[in-house]
Amino acid sequence: MLDLIDTKNQVTTRPVLQVEGLKAYYQMNYFGVRREVRAVDDVTLTINRGEIYGIAGESSSGKSSLIKTIAGAITPPLRVVEGSVKFDFGGKMLDVYGEPARMKKARWQHLSYIMQGSMNVLNPVRKVKHAFHDFAFKHMNLSGAEFRQRLESHLGRIGLDPRVLEAFPHQLSGGMRQRLTIALATVCEPEFIIADEPTTALDVLVQQDVLALIKNVQQRMGSSIIFVTHDMTVHAAIADRIGIVYAGRLVEEGPTVDVFHRPQHPYTAHLIASLPRIGDTRKRQALPGKPPNLADPPSGCRFHPRCPLAVDKCKSENPPLEGRGNGRVACWRAGEVEAA
Amino acid sequence: MFKILRDLLRYNIEFTIGFILTLAIFLFALAHFWAPMPDSAIYLLPPDMPPSAEYWFGTTSRGQDVLWQMSSAIWNTMLFGLTVTILSRLLAVAVGMISGYLGGRWDQVLMTINDTMIALPNIPILLLVYFVMRDSMSWPVLAATAALLGWNYDARLIRSVTLSLRNREFTRHAVFAGMSMRQILVRQHLPYVMPVIFFTAMNNLIWAIGLEVTLSVLGFSDINRPTIGGMIYWANQHQAIIAGIWWWIAFPIAAIVLLFLGLFLLAISVNEYIDPRSRLSRMGA
Repeated sequence: MLDLIDTKNQVTTRPVLQVEGLKAYYQMNYFGVRREVRAVDDVTLTINRGEIYGIAGESSSGKSSLIKTIAGAITPPLRVVEGSVKFDFGGKMLDVYGEPARMKKARWQHLSYIMQGSMNVLNPVRKVKHAFHDFAFKHMNLSGAEFRQRLESHLGRIGLDPRVLEAFPHQLSGGMRQRLTIALATVCEPEFIIADEPTTALDVLVQQDVLALIKNVQQRMGSSIIFVTHDMTVHAAIADRIGIVYAGRLVEEGPTVDVFHRPQHPYTAHLIASLPRIGDTRKRQALPGKPPNLADPPSGCRFHPRCPLAVDKCKSENPPLEGRGNGRVACWRAGEVEAA
Repeated sequence: MFKILRDLLRYNIEFTIGFILTLAIFLFALAHFWAPMPDSAIYLLPPDMPPSAEYWFGTTSRGQDVLWQMSSAIWNTMLFGLTVTILSRLLAVAVGMISGYLGGRWDQVLMTINDTMIALPNIPILLLVYFVMRDSMSWPVLAATAALLGWNYDARLIRSVTLSLRNREFTRHAVFAGMSMRQILVRQHLPYVMPVIFFTAMNNLIWAIGLEVTLSVLGFSDINRPTIGGMIYWANQHQAIIAGIWWWIAFPIAAIVLLFLGLFLLAISVNEYIDPRSRLSRMGA
């Protein structure tokens, strides 16, 4: 995986995605009792053209909800309460929640989304070629023969034999299906790719293969990627920048190298310290406590009940996400944590 | 298509037997178009003749050839069954898939209607319709009525399959990629539901034929139009069993049993045509 980290990404400073003050809550009303789960709470972030942005965090921290909201693929009870998500596709701004008609057109053509469990994107009772036809054909304005030609050369670049188009999904291995999913998401050459746990179900060898593939495709097309995974090694392998999500909030963000070597937030520091290292046989410390209940989050900084550095101010006031070094961090005692 | 048929005939003994039986009966029924006499003519031949070289299946007490009567009767009975099946499948697929895919309020309304229909007893309703319609009761009207009574269990079955498909990844991706509801239902979900539709179609066909026979035996249909049940009705009217005219009853019953058997074998084996996995496993792939 080292060679992956070394390939330099062509990151520009032109933003392609701007998320501002985004709040998305699960609002449920069962028998007159209102319940509100604040899965995405006041997230602001910008992703530039050609950039790979990784979102890390523990289970039920709101990672998936965040990128679902960014993709505009939310269904009730999850609703956007405040804030906006804007894409810049070729100079034209597109407000995801302001222009549903244009957004519908942009999907898959400019913006593709690989959902969780993406190995099952292919319909088990239909041949693979039909999936490409259904998802991509109408977005590409090509004739049938041209489309087929484009498809075959695209598959060739990804390392798949065009004969897989005639196969049923159950005849393919897990790795091949994952490659097909990536082929499906990139066949329209979208400017922006959203991926939810793209490698989680794979073993490390196939995972490495798939990561190299994602990076390869992304560099060739110059598109941007935002992806979610709890696997920090994947972040280390391909992300240009990492955002750490805790209890629905973005608590730290910065270039991958900085986050790994000089974490600013106590939660990030703990996350990094928990990673195994070659030659180090010490037992890893688990973070005490559980992730907070998002229906009734702690006051102030949401991490304070588990934080070793917590002071009184943390319990009452929510720290803003402010610039620090090359990144941003939301902590009253930012930088005081010892790098592990 | 021919390749699939060839593979099924070669690798699936149930399909082969069912196919041959159904095809033979279909060809026999088709032969009525070349019948030497109209099927409504009576007292054209000497009555009560036992099976012989001249009259293979004998003649009835009404002076009809049992062979040609049966040929028309099976044709009419199959036509009735197919009409009921096609109409009720359209209803079951439309209601089941829309209900399962949309969920919520639509699901509640459609399933309330569906469950109400399930609670209604079939035969009394059909008899009621027959007595109300009386002379204007033709077989298409009867078929439409039977279709309205025969879709509800299968709609529930199809709904349950669609309900599980709604939350599958390929559906969510299809929605994201901008496929309309009609496209998702027809292109993504219908192939998945197909085995259920095929299997229930065969069952429904058998049910519809049985219903037609039941009603005709009792005389609640157009008795001048030869059907399998109609033949048994006339045989009973002429006390064929007591009179020893066994061929008037035995041959129609044998024909309907063979047709049921053929359709049943097709029903249990036709899944393999639809489901690629079981087809491949049967072929040893």
